[in-house]
Amino acid sequence: MTTNATLSHPAPATSRGAIAGGIVLAVIAVALAALPQIMPLSGYVLNMLMQAVTYTVAVLGLTVVLGYTGQLSLAQAAFFGIGAYAVALGTVDYGLGFWLSMALGLVASAAAGAVLGLTSLRIGGHYLAMVTIAFQQIVTLVLVNSIEFTHGPDGVSGIARPNLPGVSLTNGRAYLTFCIVVLYAVALGVWYLRRTRLGRAMQAVRDNELAAGVVGVHTYRTKVVAFTISAVLGGLGGALFASGFSYISPDQFSFAESVVFLTMALIGGVQSAFGTALGTGLLILLPEWLRFLKEIYLAIYGLSVILIMVFMPEGIWGLLERIARGGGAKPAAALVTPRPFRLEIASDGPAEFLETRGLAKHFGGLRAVDGVDLTVRRGTVHALIGPNGSGKTTLLNVLSGLYKPTAGSVTLAGRDITRLAPHERCAAGVGRTFQNIRLFRSLSILDNVLVGAQRPGAPARGEAQLRERAYEALGFVGLADKASELVGSLPYGHQRLVEIARALAGQPALLLLDEPAAGLNPTEKQDLVGLLRRLKGHGLTIFLIDHDMAMVERIADHITVLNFGKRIAEGSPRDVLRQPAVIAAYLGEVPTHGAA
Amino acid sequence: MSMIPQLLFTGLGIGSIYALVALGFVLIYRATNVVNFAQGDFSMIGAFIMVVLAIDLGVPYWIAVIVAVVTMAAFGILFNYGVYYPLRHRTFLPVVISTIGASILLQNGVLAAYGPHPQSLPPMLPFPGFTVGGVFLDSQYLLILVVTFALVALQYLFFERTMLGKKLQATSQDKEMASLLGIPVALMIGITFAYSAVLGGVAGILVAPLLFVSINMGSTIALKAFAASIIGGFGDVTGAIVGGLALGVVETFGAAYISVPYKDGFAFLVLFLFLMVRPQGVFGEKVAEKA
Amino acid sequence: MAKHGLAALMLCGALTLVASQGIAAETLKIGMVAPLTGPAAESGRFQVNGAKLAADEVNKAGGVLGKQLELVIEDDQTTNPGAVLAFSKLAGDSDIPAFIGSIRSTQVHAMAPDVIKTGKPMMIGGTDPKLTHMGNPWLFRFRPNDTYSARVIAEYGVNVLNRKKWAIVHSTDAFGTAGKNALAEQLKALGAEVMITQGYTNNSQDFTPVALAVKQAGAEVLSSYVTFETDQGILAKQMRQLGVDLPWIGSTTIATTSALRLAGAALNGTYGVTDYTEKASPASEAFAQKYMAAYGTKADVFAAWPFDAVTVLAKAINNAGGTDPEKIRAAIMDISGLAGAEGTYDFDQNGDGLHGYNIVHNDNGTIVFERRIDFKD
Repeated sequence: MTTNATLSHPAPATSRGAIAGGIVLAVIAVALAALPQIMPLSGYVLNMLMQAVTYTVAVLGLTVVLGYTGQLSLAQAAFFGIGAYAVALGTVDYGLGFWLSMALGLVASAAAGAVLGLTSLRIGGHYLAMVTIAFQQIVTLVLVNSIEFTHGPDGVSGIARPNLPGVSLTNGRAYLTFCIVVLYAVALGVWYLRRTRLGRAMQAVRDNELAAGVVGVHTYRTKVVAFTISAVLGGLGGALFASGFSYISPDQFSFAESVVFLTMALIGGVQSAFGTALGTGLLILLPEWLRFLKEIYLAIYGLSVILIMVFMPEGIWGLLERIARGGGAKPAAALVTPRPFRLEIASDGPAEFLETRGLAKHFGGLRAVDGVDLTVRRGTVHALIGPNGSGKTTLLNVLSGLYKPTAGSVTLAGRDITRLAPHERCAAGVGRTFQNIRLFRSLSILDNVLVGAQRPGAPARGEAQLRERAYEALGFVGLADKASELVGSLPYGHQRLVEIARALAGQPALLLLDEPAAGLNPTEKQDLVGLLRRLKGHGLTIFLIDHDMAMVERIADHITVLNFGKRIAEGSPRDVLRQPAVIAAYLGEVPTHGAA
Repeated sequence: MSMIPQLLFTGLGIGSIYALVALGFVLIYRATNVVNFAQGDFSMIGAFIMVVLAIDLGVPYWIAVIVAVVTMAAFGILFNYGVYYPLRHRTFLPVVISTIGASILLQNGVLAAYGPHPQSLPPMLPFPGFTVGGVFLDSQYLLILVVTFALVALQYLFFERTMLGKKLQATSQDKEMASLLGIPVALMIGITFAYSAVLGGVAGILVAPLLFVSINMGSTIALKAFAASIIGGFGDVTGAIVGGLALGVVETFGAAYISVPYKDGFAFLVLFLFLMVRPQGVFGEKVAEKA
Repeated sequence: MAKHGLAALMLCGALTLVASQGIAAETLKIGMVAPLTGPAAESGRFQVNGAKLAADEVNKAGGVLGKQLELVIEDDQTTNPGAVLAFSKLAGDSDIPAFIGSIRSTQVHAMAPDVIKTGKPMMIGGTDPKLTHMGNPWLFRFRPNDTYSARVIAEYGVNVLNRKKWAIVHSTDAFGTAGKNALAEQLKALGAEVMITQGYTNNSQDFTPVALAVKQAGAEVLSSYVTFETDQGILAKQMRQLGVDLPWIGSTTIATTSALRLAGAALNGTYGVTDYTEKASPASEAFAQKYMAAYGTKADVFAAWPFDAVTVLAKAINNAGGTDPEKIRAAIMDISGLAGAEGTYDFDQNGDGLHGYNIVHNDNGTIVFERRIDFKD
């Protein structure tokens, strides 16, 4: 129960079984790496292992881009090919040696990946899939047709294997051991990535891109980085592959191979480095094992792909994990007493903390927000109310940067933030929650809040400080003891609190809440009111939308009423709720005039 | 030079094949938000059914066509229940992979059942074509153009004028809302798959006299058709047609005036440019996610 | 995780090893890599049939070294990694003294490094000239290489048909590109002129630009290196539709059964070079009859070369009197004047067994043997 010591390592569920499993894995891993040195392997097994190991390196790239970041790439074989051709042409035609060639290959695949990502990642989903297919096809055409450079369809033979200082890797077994070591390093790196700032940002983008931006993740950059890492791993796998087989030709890097890579990742379990490795091994072995079926084995293979998708959605590794989890207890709660919550908010600067002037957002002919002037004073709780469809959520979306305003300006503490992207506003001190809760559903509560804590410009630095900060925020909303649970398993009211904690962890100066009381029972509402009052006590400025007038009346210092996108009333709760225009708006009557 | 009209005709002919297959893509996408990577194989299956019926069993040609179309409809429903339906509540990715698996299964299943020999179907019309002003107009291409436009017109009437069509549209726009209105969503999706399989099958039967019947006949066409539907504006029927025709023309002229070996590259280059400049395609609308 | 899978694989590998050693050597095994699945599965069937036919014949005649010949066939899935895996699986069986490799040059390239490591002879059908000219002593070719097809096409077109202005259409794959290069060289040597060269990517759906370009080039004769029958069929139909009526000498594909069925009348009147033709010699005629009797379909070039390969290999092992690779190699090199389905085998120092091609003529859908052109070098 010590504070700081435990805080830096809030125990992720370590049961005796997991430790034992880890040891078993480690023993198998070491044994496998040493195997080629101890046991005589037939050329067949050697080749198959070589293929499995080098492919796995490339497929781990898909774990990053697809598994962690949720972006579908169908060009992994093209990056694999770029790495392979760099080593092949570098060693055979240009005499550059393996290491330099490989370095060039990695640079080339990184560059290709970055350019492709920069141009296509603003649009996602099927479009990205199609762009990657297009890139894949063009790479194949170039490999086949630019004969002077790539040797064309003949391919490149006689590719050399490298030497390490004092160790020759020309021998197949030595080289395989080398590849296995590289694979371990990559797999460990990919596994560890998930637990880093970048890894969390990627997963946040995957689970909910919109929310990720609002809590400070530079979503576009994160996607491009993920895509580039994936391309580099593809290139690395290809480089190892080229030397391993000493002959390559364009048909090994075709679209069909990209599909194979993708299937490997998904079958094993694309969200886990281990699953990816499992899937790759399996898909290289499956056709070998099914050889006895002769003519129909590819048909059976296709059928297995469908069946695995239907019955094992998270892949084989996901299934194994679920079985393992089902057998054991729930992840143990971290035994941590968080430090009291702190908010460091500069008290100087103008009293008009948030100001909008003539703010408008039109959708085609619909004027959802129509020239709103708004002033939120520092340290107050300011409520925005209005009937359904009056433009409240649209206004909030403009304030948090999700919508670009049609006209007008937004100023935060004297700084014009009208043109800033959501993550930049977050960095400027704007936090928010959503009406329909947007959490990162596959992450734990702690990781959700950590994503909030790690926003750019936040005072918390380093993993230990980030965790400390996250626990503070969770402690503040009373959920510190549930930190390691998955958010999906929480009751609705708690999910709202996690969303608030996520925003708080980023040290906001202004908190935007979109109907925080929606769906809460009376007790939870009572708690929420207390929470908001305490936040106000910390000097936080709060701007909220809600329908619950009783609650708004109890906590708001100031109310703005919106109808048909225009401000129709403004003032203290008691005054505003008595105004005829407001009553008319709520009762559905046409207001006689829009006076405030 | 007189090359241009000939290239234009051929480009439109090839383009109409892309358009026909793209229509199938678009329909399934609209109903399920999923890209069916086995769409090209629907064409292959349709063509092989024709080969079995008309060539191997000697069924009269037009009866064979009718039987093939009905079989394709049944096949589409089967495909729905085997490949899409069990995954309907998941994200698009598992479904995409599942259709990729289906594609491998179909190609190799046919290979195992029928053998690897490419087959041929006789042309549908009794004359090979006309020569007009030095331009050879292949009758089969003309037929494909006519059928494509007839299908689009028919489809328009069906979706806009019939109750079933409207129900299908409602389903594709908002499944939850449709089911609240009492529309049997699962049945509607089943019908969509059936129709899409028929479209794919018809495309296969139509192209068979030109490109022959082989296991992988659908793969290249499907990829181009997919590109075409994105260029046109994904999910848009008119867009798929225009995109398909445009792609065929670009490709043919690119091959003639720039490079034949890089022919397949032009389609994807155009696609690249489109996605950068106008990702929503020619007819598509920008959609923003609701916060 | 990978380690589990790979550990299982190790076990699997070990079991294979045990299993293969468990079978006592009552038979003499020959390994064969063939495409049973994938795009080339069609030709794979012919290859396996041809090899089996020869093995049966050898066995009826008493087998090899007193043992029955047994073919161990592994699928290469029509891919290069598939070929490498298939070969290494066979190479792991120490009872196999020699192999029948692939008809696809890229696959032979892919397997070549492992063949050197294994140090046992492999009979190949790939026609890329480089395969037997890159210092690999273990590759023996049972088809004439592409320099010969190019020489025969050029020789026949220039000196027999008397055409000096040429158009070349070729696939941009390894086979088509190598063939195109060799043909251009031969034509230059014979003083003919290449008016136009058009490459296309395999599985093209349309050849209109190619046909129009050829039409306008002012050529007197068309030659082609085409890999796939479907491409050959579409190319032929469109050439004819767009009014290209030049005499046409094509590579082997132009005269295959499948191409004839697909293209129909569009290929009438064309010439083709083939290494295997039914009527080329008494030996090829005999093979054709045996094949028809055994399988009920006409034999193809794909069936002929493995037939010869197995026949020659059996004879060589018998001559060598044992399965020592060096001795088998020497025995193959000593083979001379052996009449096979593909021609008369005379291995040169590179491992090339054949040095010429047949010219055939498509006479209204029937392939007619025209002549055989052999070279001494």
